[in-house]
Amino acid sequence: MLSRLIIQSWRRNPRRKGLVVATVFLAAALVSALLSVSIGIGDKMAKELKSYGANILMEPTEEAVLPRLFAEPGALSAGRVFLSERDLPQLKSIFWRHNIVGFAPLLAGQADADGAKIRILGTFFHQSLPVEGEADFRTGQQVIAPYWQVRGAWPDDEKNEALAGATLAAKMHWRAGQTLTLNRTQPVTISGILESGGDEDNQLVMPLKLAQSLLGLAGKIQAVRVSAMTVPENRLSQRARANRDALTAEEYDVWYCTAYVSSIAHQLEEAIPEAQARPIWQVAASEGLIVEKVQLLLIVATGAALLAASMGIASLMASTIMERAKEIALMKALAARPWQIMLLFYAEAAVSAVLGGLLGCGAGWLLARQIGWTLFGAPLGLAWIVVPSVLSLSVLIAVIGTWFPVRKIARLYPAEVLHGRR
Amino acid sequence: MNNNDIVIETRGLTKSFGSVIALNQLSIQIRRGEFVAFMGASGSGKTTLMNILTCLDTISAGQVLIDGQDLADLDEEGRRALRATKIGLVFQQFHLIPYLSALENVMLAQHYHSVTDEAAARKILTDIGLGHRLRHLPSALSGGEQQRVCIARALVNEPPLLFADEPTGNLDEENEKIVLGLLQELHGQGRTIIMVTHNPDLGAYADRIIRLHHGRVVE
Repeated sequence: MLSRLIIQSWRRNPRRKGLVVATVFLAAALVSALLSVSIGIGDKMAKELKSYGANILMEPTEEAVLPRLFAEPGALSAGRVFLSERDLPQLKSIFWRHNIVGFAPLLAGQADADGAKIRILGTFFHQSLPVEGEADFRTGQQVIAPYWQVRGAWPDDEKNEALAGATLAAKMHWRAGQTLTLNRTQPVTISGILESGGDEDNQLVMPLKLAQSLLGLAGKIQAVRVSAMTVPENRLSQRARANRDALTAEEYDVWYCTAYVSSIAHQLEEAIPEAQARPIWQVAASEGLIVEKVQLLLIVATGAALLAASMGIASLMASTIMERAKEIALMKALAARPWQIMLLFYAEAAVSAVLGGLLGCGAGWLLARQIGWTLFGAPLGLAWIVVPSVLSLSVLIAVIGTWFPVRKIARLYPAEVLHGRR
Repeated sequence: MNNNDIVIETRGLTKSFGSVIALNQLSIQIRRGEFVAFMGASGSGKTTLMNILTCLDTISAGQVLIDGQDLADLDEEGRRALRATKIGLVFQQFHLIPYLSALENVMLAQHYHSVTDEAAARKILTDIGLGHRLRHLPSALSGGEQQRVCIARALVNEPPLLFADEPTGNLDEENEKIVLGLLQELHGQGRTIIMVTHNPDLGAYADRIIRLHHGRVVE
């Protein structure tokens, strides 16, 4: 009989139920969109935040243990210990290899440019590397340092081209397109002027192979900047950072199998044992912080949407109960127990919630796609966990919204209502 | 009179709403199978008395016995259970659920009593001449037909007591005759009927009239 009551009530009086469905629909659409964004934003934001540059620096172990105070920042040539360029593909063999967005080796030194001593830096710009499982893997500064501003063209890794740091170019009166002679024998064309905001502005940045040739260090590199997609730091990763040996076996497994910057750095060290990988905490921490703050904002917005929907439903149900007071009084006069009448209203609200929730999931998915396109230039997919979550939340807000007004049923006095005294 | 014959008894029944005394030291007895009319002017207390006797309201003082059961001993659930098993209600304004058909309105009373029995609900509606109107909504029924659905709903659980509050108050003359004929027929079958009315013509159908005035029995 309960199902008959619900069905007939729906068929014959759809207007007010439609309002409840619409309220749940709006909340569910917003919540499912926000949940989809919240779930997808970690990866999307992490990719976006890669424009801030590499978040891990790898250096030779012996070099890294020496206090960096003795070397000028960026004066990589001061080090006498080198890594092997041959080992670079190993960086894409770790457990979190798909999170390694890219990397760029570094080799710095000095060279003679038309009679003047200048600093040079060898690196990859957009170098193709043989990596297992990725047919056309290319990496270099174009991948890990998209914030570099180049006036002119990026150098070709296979040609004798270079970027002149903006400060150096101004000092030497160099222009893009100009050809220099390095070490009196090696012609190099300036393909563009570089503004990185860093030490590179004082250097002539050229393909690694060319720098190795000029410095007589074939196959050698001094450091590698790695850009990895990571998850925000938490208590476990902080403990691992302080003392990895203090973790239990279970904690170690969780830490190792989570894409923390520290666990990825650890795996990079396993891949190249001669190197020590140091997270660049300023970058890593701000990435985590931004993602965390955005997710918190989304949670607050989701909570506000749920609260608003609950209040809307409470208001609608309150007026429904007032409107149907005679019906309720009659049911009581026919010996209905209060819970039986309450169950009817809860069930009606739950049916409306499921309907509104399903429609809202669909609309939320479309909204999330649109948000993805607008913010990240790619659609955000629907995580299937969102559907049961949003349906449960929809029913929950409908039940909470019904709970307040439905208590009036117990207080409703059939004798007064049926005889028109109320 | 044998005590077993008394189905309703009030002893010094008093009901007050704040300082207003609606029923004042009322003592009445109604026998099983009797057709009694409560009559009186507006404000005489007849509806209040009916609300108390149908367990929809509580008393301020005195004692009320329904089929030997003292209402003072019953809590809310006890009064509900008594209403479910012993009392059928017919209203002046019918009070049918507008989105349920005639059949479903009758089945609703079965639902809140125990379990639904569509065949029994169908039979009772057919017995009172509404076999062709089972699937109609109240809005598609005439006033007389709605009142007959209301009577069918009151009878479907076979309660020993049938209370009718101004049962023909909203009906035309023709439908009034049909409904009163139905009540007389039920009385003839041995059912106890208590009718509230201010209409002397209707009172004439009852075995006995209890007249109320300012909350007291005057006749």
